Amino acid sequence: MIRKLYMKPAVREFLRILLAITISLTLGFIITLLVSEDPVGAYKAFLTGPVSRINRTGEWIKEAITLTLLGLSVALVFKAELFSMGAEGQMLLGALVSGTISLFVPLPAILRIPLALFAAMLVGFLFGALPGYLKAHLNANEIVSTLMLNAIALRVYDYFLIFHIKPEGAGYNASDFFPKEGVLPTFIPNVPFLAEAYELFSRRANITIMLYIAIAVVVLVWYLMYRTPFGYELRMLGANMKFARYGGINTKKTVILTFAISGAVAGLAGAHLGMGIHEKLIANITIGIAFEGIVVALLARNNPVAVPFAALAYGYLRAGADIMERSSDVSREMVLVIQAIIILLVTAERVLPIVQQRVNNMRENTKAEAIEEGGQNVI
Amino acid sequence: MPPIIELKAIYKIYPNGVMANKGVNFSVEPGEIHALVGENGAGKSTLMKIIYGMEQPTQGQVVVEGLERHFHSSRDAIDAGIGMVHQNFMLVPSFTVAENIVLGQEPTQRGLLNKQKAIDETIQISEQYGLRVEPKAIVDSINVGMRQRVEILKALYRGANILILDEPTAVLTPQETQELFLAIRKLVEQGKTVIFITHKLREVMEVSDRVTVLRQGEVVGTLPTSEATRESLARMMVGRDVLLRVEKPPAQRGRKVMEVQRLTYINDTGRSVLNDVSFNIYAGEILGIAGVEGNGQTELVEIMTGLRPSTSGNALVNGKAVLNKTPREVRMAGVSHIPEDRLTNGLALEASINENLIVDRYFRPPYKKGASIDYKQVAELGAKSIEKYGILTPDGELPVASLSGGNMQKVIVAREFTSDPELLIAAQPTRGIDVGATEFVREQLVKQRTDGTAVLLVSADLGEVMSLSDRIITMFEGEITGVFPDAASVTEEELGLYMLGIKHQSKEEMEELL
Repeated sequence: MIRKLYMKPAVREFLRILLAITISLTLGFIITLLVSEDPVGAYKAFLTGPVSRINRTGEWIKEAITLTLLGLSVALVFKAELFSMGAEGQMLLGALVSGTISLFVPLPAILRIPLALFAAMLVGFLFGALPGYLKAHLNANEIVSTLMLNAIALRVYDYFLIFHIKPEGAGYNASDFFPKEGVLPTFIPNVPFLAEAYELFSRRANITIMLYIAIAVVVLVWYLMYRTPFGYELRMLGANMKFARYGGINTKKTVILTFAISGAVAGLAGAHLGMGIHEKLIANITIGIAFEGIVVALLARNNPVAVPFAALAYGYLRAGADIMERSSDVSREMVLVIQAIIILLVTAERVLPIVQQRVNNMRENTKAEAIEEGGQNVI
Repeated sequence: MPPIIELKAIYKIYPNGVMANKGVNFSVEPGEIHALVGENGAGKSTLMKIIYGMEQPTQGQVVVEGLERHFHSSRDAIDAGIGMVHQNFMLVPSFTVAENIVLGQEPTQRGLLNKQKAIDETIQISEQYGLRVEPKAIVDSINVGMRQRVEILKALYRGANILILDEPTAVLTPQETQELFLAIRKLVEQGKTVIFITHKLREVMEVSDRVTVLRQGEVVGTLPTSEATRESLARMMVGRDVLLRVEKPPAQRGRKVMEVQRLTYINDTGRSVLNDVSFNIYAGEILGIAGVEGNGQTELVEIMTGLRPSTSGNALVNGKAVLNKTPREVRMAGVSHIPEDRLTNGLALEASINENLIVDRYFRPPYKKGASIDYKQVAELGAKSIEKYGILTPDGELPVASLSGGNMQKVIVAREFTSDPELLIAAQPTRGIDVGATEFVREQLVKQRTDGTAVLLVSADLGEVMSLSDRIITMFEGEITGVFPDAASVTEEELGLYMLGIKHQSKEEMEELL
């Protein structure tokens, strides 16, 4: 019975990750022992920090939402065996466009917010299609082109922020706070019987309706990938490009569309930064998070359904690391080392298989005995 | 003389429960060429991996030169004088031939690779065994035949006395095969022992001294080749009588399905690969193209199926132009295509069998319903194909990579035949698959043709072209050199002269026969 359960890929995958996390947390603790005066306290801050206070939990969840969207954006591209570093540029433009609409378009919230989100996705779609087009028609390396496009997007973002959006004469590079009509509402509706929870969350841990949107995007991306003709094309492109072409799939179109849809999702993540987290546009709004979608997609093995879980786990690590840094004597550098070890072990594919191999060897020996006893049906 | 290698009651069970060898007894005499034959999945490769130390037997003994051995890795086997040439070569493409041969046991000079010595040693060993290679050539730039010789030399350089060749001819042209056989005989003359894995019975008869037949993990028998016939070996391999000759009713030639007119193709390097090629294919006939590989057949098929643009010319399917269209447009015009390289073009290995079956139809009803693919329909198609085409698998949701070569080819055949084509282009349809699957694919090709499909058959196996085709054209250096309207009445020798460009029919002669 236990063996049967163990053979299920999902169970095995779960065990693998659990084992990897255990090993890496142990290693992390050993490092903490070496560098900290109060290793237990520091490590406790790391492990329990994100759930110790409601505002910290809120930070964690909000970050996980951004990570989910970024992870989906990257998983789409990875699934087609392509590579993209373009999330940064797509997020910046998404934030810029949605922020501009939030700030300046005089519409009621019910129209202004959807318009801003839609515009962010559209600009991400178009900006994402660019490296796709360059790849498909000019065979430009997508890593180089997406990185270069990031540099362009960054300057465009800075230009508009500094010369057009920031209030005149302000001594800082940021916009005004968005008006209420341009900020995403709290995820708990403001209705009488939920008044208490609404009050708590909207004041102390402002998780927005982006939570629901992110979940919807997870479902949509899964559906797109596994149920639609486009998803089939994308997956076949990833499995064997020559086969896709031979079978009649328009590979160029598929490449462009894949990058474009990935860009749209990243654009939405950009909108979340402005309208859900900072509630204004700031310089370097994507710093520290733009490339984290790659880690999330790797952790989730490009499976859209696994992405939110990977994002929660990874977001927890990031949040815990931040808290440890702030509340103990462990330096940021050491925190990053511990974080990197965990990611390294979780993404390493061989951790569990080595253990598994040992188990199999043991079991094979039992099978040999079974043959000796004349049993043929060991299969 | 005692056997040089003896396997006693070998069992091998893989962790997933597959029992690859069941009590195999196998012995090889020193100085012989011993052929090991069996269908794909019969356990040949597993057995050889056990001898070569890449796998450990679950149970049983390996005795080499009278000593019982427990090899833990191929390093141990190499030390015991065993060398193996794998089906997929294991060379470093960016290194030179000499560097590849000495890799791991490099002659050094003050800690650095002594390149000159490596080259000298390569020349010396190459001359000793009559295996011609260019020591300074980069492996990436040499042809398959030479790569294989490099692999053999690599094993010999490490002191191998016993050479295991795993399906060495699968990648070779007939000429290269002949060269290989000469080399093998020379090796044996110099005291080496050769184990030769294959499923081509013609080669067994030609080169081996003794032959062992495996079926479903068990030894069916070992016998001197002189006492075997192709028919008897085939029967031992498959477990029933096999039709090596194809039975087919006379052709009922119908209307013209495809017209190829003055097709010319000049490749990127400016070489003329196809020169003014014209022919027609009619419903209900198999048109065979005979030619030594590399005379433009591959490019011809790729151009006809939309995978490669042509330089000039015209091609019509039922009057509709198909040249320089996309592969999808060509398929929609009623062309289906069994590609010559099933692993790179014909299949997506990690994708499921079902998903491989729908690449030409996922975008149209009944497989597309609304905005999505109807996976119930897909599963149904999968189940039907698996049954009808005898694909050996428990489930259509498994990846194609889990199948043997013959079953992979059946997946392609299932897809290309069930699309109800007007024209079927089959390139090397039985290359590298076992006797049973070959028989099946050939029968199916003939059935398609008898049901009124036009079939174009391109094959490097002249016997296959001659036994399946109704009409044959020969190609040499990108040109058609001869047309034979009655395939049954032409001899192999005659075709050979046209395939090598020694004889050439005039344009007028060919005109009306094309």
